[in-house]
Amino acid sequence: MKQSQSSWKLLILAALLPILVLVAINVTGEWKNDFHPESFKRFGNAVLTSYVVMGIILIGNLFFYADSRHRPFAPFVGMIFALAVGIVIAWALISNDDLLLEANSGLRAQMLSNVVHLLVSGTAMALASLLAIGVTFAMITGRSRRVLFEEE
Amino acid sequence: MLEAAIWFWIPLCLVPVGIWFSISGKAKSVGKLVAVIGLILVMVSSWTVPSSDSTAGGHLLLSILAPSLLLAYGVHGTVFGGNVPVGRLDSSARWSGAMAILTSLLIFCLMHWYSITPLWRDGEVNPYWIVFWPTFLLFATSLSSVAAVALASYGDNRLNESISLAVLSVAMAGIALAAMIFDGYMTTSNEFRDYLWLAAADIFGTIVGISLAIAAFAIVIWAYENSLPLPENSPPPTEEEIKHVVSLAKNHIGGEEE
Repeated sequence: MKQSQSSWKLLILAALLPILVLVAINVTGEWKNDFHPESFKRFGNAVLTSYVVMGIILIGNLFFYADSRHRPFAPFVGMIFALAVGIVIAWALISNDDLLLEANSGLRAQMLSNVVHLLVSGTAMALASLLAIGVTFAMITGRSRRVLFEEE
Repeated sequence: MLEAAIWFWIPLCLVPVGIWFSISGKAKSVGKLVAVIGLILVMVSSWTVPSSDSTAGGHLLLSILAPSLLLAYGVHGTVFGGNVPVGRLDSSARWSGAMAILTSLLIFCLMHWYSITPLWRDGEVNPYWIVFWPTFLLFATSLSSVAAVALASYGDNRLNESISLAVLSVAMAGIALAAMIFDGYMTTSNEFRDYLWLAAADIFGTIVGISLAIAAFAIVIWAYENSLPLPENSPPPTEEEIKHVVSLAKNHIGGEEE
């Protein structure tokens, strides 16, 4: 059990380390690129937008895959409530002064911009996943099969 | 605004709806058709509604379509050209696949450092290119690193494969480092360094947001399932049902009918 936990920690470290190294080089290089002032806004917008979009996708799944459960109404309402909470928080934070508003004219422009931004960054992450997972499987299938049992 | 809704936002909504219909099996071919038409309309939206700023996203998707398809073809070739039990391709597919992956990465690099950078209005670089490129590089570096460590720690005698994946991770980090040092054809290294921060914020934010949505979904389903009454016991089988089951079992075990 302990070994399994340490492996998970190792995987999380492996995921974070390359990003942290590149960001560290970005900060300490001769160009001394300080923390970008819009980074927090981008993080906040990414959290809220991906929460809302993923919530909509999950509601769609509830609707399309609920046949075996005779389409119960309660989880549907529960998810819509969870989604509504996300939308209200996004609306409140974007409307509130300059908290999450980036270089956009207002609330509606920011929300639409967030969706397009997620579309682009999601595509980038999907392509990166295709590359990394694809190459991993290519490596695994590239080796000839080992003989597990010799016939007597 | 109405034009943007008709030519960009409604087609964008049609893509997941089409995929849902296709996957759920209710209207497979119609669902696929709707998703493909939606995606095409989103990609050409910079011509159908040039006044909308959102269409830059669709324009970028169209710009990266060719290298993305080449990457997918390459991955398919390298995976299924190897030792797979089903759907195995000719062994030459591995080499052509590897070449396709390298070529697609080269095209992405040329889109940054050569004159094929995606251009949008008035010859200006597409604003979402500088969002896509650092996000792709950072995420590919991170995932390759995870895959390398996972193969080394969970795999059995997979050190060589793990090293190859670590090399891929370092190569992607090297491309990101080069973009931080050398100016692109239409973008400066300073812009790239700025957007590296934003890409890191984007990646962490998206992962946190998706995790929160899945957690909310799990809580809702858990609460619903917990509220359901326990299923009632079914009545015991009748004599007739028991005889029927016994006769079926006898037929299968004894093979009297053969």
